[in-house]
Amino acid sequence: MFEQAIGAMASVVVDPYLLGLIFVTTILGVIIGVLPGLGATTGAALLLPFTLTMDPVHAIAVLATIYVSATFAGSITAILINAPGTSAAAATTFDGYPLAQKGEAGRALGIAVISSTVGGIFSVLILCFAAPLLARVAYEFRSPEYFALTVFGLSMLASISAGGAVKNLIGGIFGVWLSTIGAERVTGIERFMFGNYELYEGLHFVPIFIGLFAISELLVQSKTVDKIIKTVAMKAVKLPTKEDYKKIWKTILRSCGIGTFIGVLPAEGATVASMIGYSEARRWSKNKKEFGKGSIEGIAGAEAANNAATGGAMVPTMVLGIPGSGTTAIILVGLMVHGLRPGVYLFTEQVEKVYQIFGSMFIANVMFMLMGLYAAKIFARVSLVPTAILWPIVFALSVIGAYAFQGQLLDVWLALIFGVIGFFARRFGFSVAPIAVGLILGEMVETNLQHSLKMFDGAWWMILTQPLALMFLIFAFLGLCGPMIFSWITKQKK
Amino acid sequence: MIKKNIYFVPLFLAIFSFVVIAIALQLDTSPEMIVGDSMQARSFPIFLMILNLILVAVLTLQFYKNHPNPIPLERFPTWGSMILFLVFYLLTVFTDMFIGIFIVMFLMCVLWGEKRIWVALLTASITPALIFMLFDLVLKIRFPRGILTNIYYG
Repeated sequence: MFEQAIGAMASVVVDPYLLGLIFVTTILGVIIGVLPGLGATTGAALLLPFTLTMDPVHAIAVLATIYVSATFAGSITAILINAPGTSAAAATTFDGYPLAQKGEAGRALGIAVISSTVGGIFSVLILCFAAPLLARVAYEFRSPEYFALTVFGLSMLASISAGGAVKNLIGGIFGVWLSTIGAERVTGIERFMFGNYELYEGLHFVPIFIGLFAISELLVQSKTVDKIIKTVAMKAVKLPTKEDYKKIWKTILRSCGIGTFIGVLPAEGATVASMIGYSEARRWSKNKKEFGKGSIEGIAGAEAANNAATGGAMVPTMVLGIPGSGTTAIILVGLMVHGLRPGVYLFTEQVEKVYQIFGSMFIANVMFMLMGLYAAKIFARVSLVPTAILWPIVFALSVIGAYAFQGQLLDVWLALIFGVIGFFARRFGFSVAPIAVGLILGEMVETNLQHSLKMFDGAWWMILTQPLALMFLIFAFLGLCGPMIFSWITKQKK
Repeated sequence: MIKKNIYFVPLFLAIFSFVVIAIALQLDTSPEMIVGDSMQARSFPIFLMILNLILVAVLTLQFYKNHPNPIPLERFPTWGSMILFLVFYLLTVFTDMFIGIFIVMFLMCVLWGEKRIWVALLTASITPALIFMLFDLVLKIRFPRGILTNIYYG
């Protein structure tokens, strides 16, 4: 098994086509991450249709590379123009931009590049070891356990992103409801199709995701047409000095652990990881006063954590089929579209492909480090592309991408409709990621509930007699009600 | 500015939930021998909407307690972009998808503040052409029939 894994990972290095693909995608990912508004999720949604004709490993490698490189690249604009290219880089602005304003933009970028690379590589290594172990545990799962696990995943939506727990849960339920559109799997009864037989097999994820992430972002960006971007001058990226390393190595290691752990939690992602990584860096620092004024520990804490979360988020995605973030939801769709069924099967029958994907992520981390060190200055200029040019291009890519998925115009209209729905949802404080995750998990939760009910002759409470299922349901309950219970206990103590 | 109208959100969600429940109740039921001890096709969506209604009640309570900030009305480029989506639909259905993309991209560039008409024209013509070539020649995907594609495909 170990030798097979090493062999598969090494095969990536000797595959010139795949290496070239990762190289080009890393450039594309960094550009996507640098452009404000176009994060890893939107980028992956736009690129998904382009991967349809690719070999499965190549396709997932492209999506995973976009994920890691765009997550890193958000820090370039966070440091140089105080506008995080991705939400995961928001914490980097707290100290990155102040340091850049002091004339040390190159140093800030150097710290960000090294921290991101260490975080990314650390999480890929954890992914290589943790994923097969978790897959062995998941081998024991039956319908009640999968049902409970999916409920746990849905409960974690409460904290997936900004917007508030209740709004995120409403979004998640809407997503699950969307998954009920089409013919019901067991009985074949048509639900919410209104005579449209193109919806018989249900809503397809690709056009919906293009709408929710790319088109809705386009409409959100239409409000920023007057925004003037000012960039901080920078000569060249500087590698951290020995003293810098002495100051930040503990922070980087801590953030690697935090980021990977948070990434592994279903429905949590790089944004939450970077915020916690930053606040923990501050909590443990001897120079707390420097935070907010250009602390290199602050940059390292946020950047190591957000990139560490990328590998972590791939664990539940590939092993359990439960996405760790909006981007991994798209990667999950990529896996399904290419016939790679996430779960135990993937780790028993298609181990080689799995490790090739992990190897690709490893190489992507090294490539974005080189690009960050030697070409950050050039990439930063990309952020100055006028929105009036950039977003019409995104429109063209979105509609053609939605059409290309199945060659149906209905998919284009669905992408546009869900773009408008996503825009209004965001306008009223709802995040679109819970809708996407709900849509993916919807079928899983309903099917496993049906199977569980059949297993227990309709006695739903028997699900609670399964130890693992009970554990997941308790986690779900704590995830939903824990904050309320703990705040009530704290109030009572006072 | 939308002020008290913020309650429009929970109201809309509640109406949506009731409509879904009403539609779900109209769905066919399956014979007992197929469903057995499991659920009818209508049960799951109804269960979801009941959950939704509970959450909507909590959301309303939160709005009542916290008085969320008013939401400013959309500006012209946003509404304009949505109208352009409609224009794209009409152009695609009645002429050609690529004519639709070209016109909408051009108008969107101008609407979003691009003052150099030649830049807008260039963006609107080069982008779809490049994407078409990539999808047609490399990915071998055929596009829907229309005025332009009929000429190309013959």
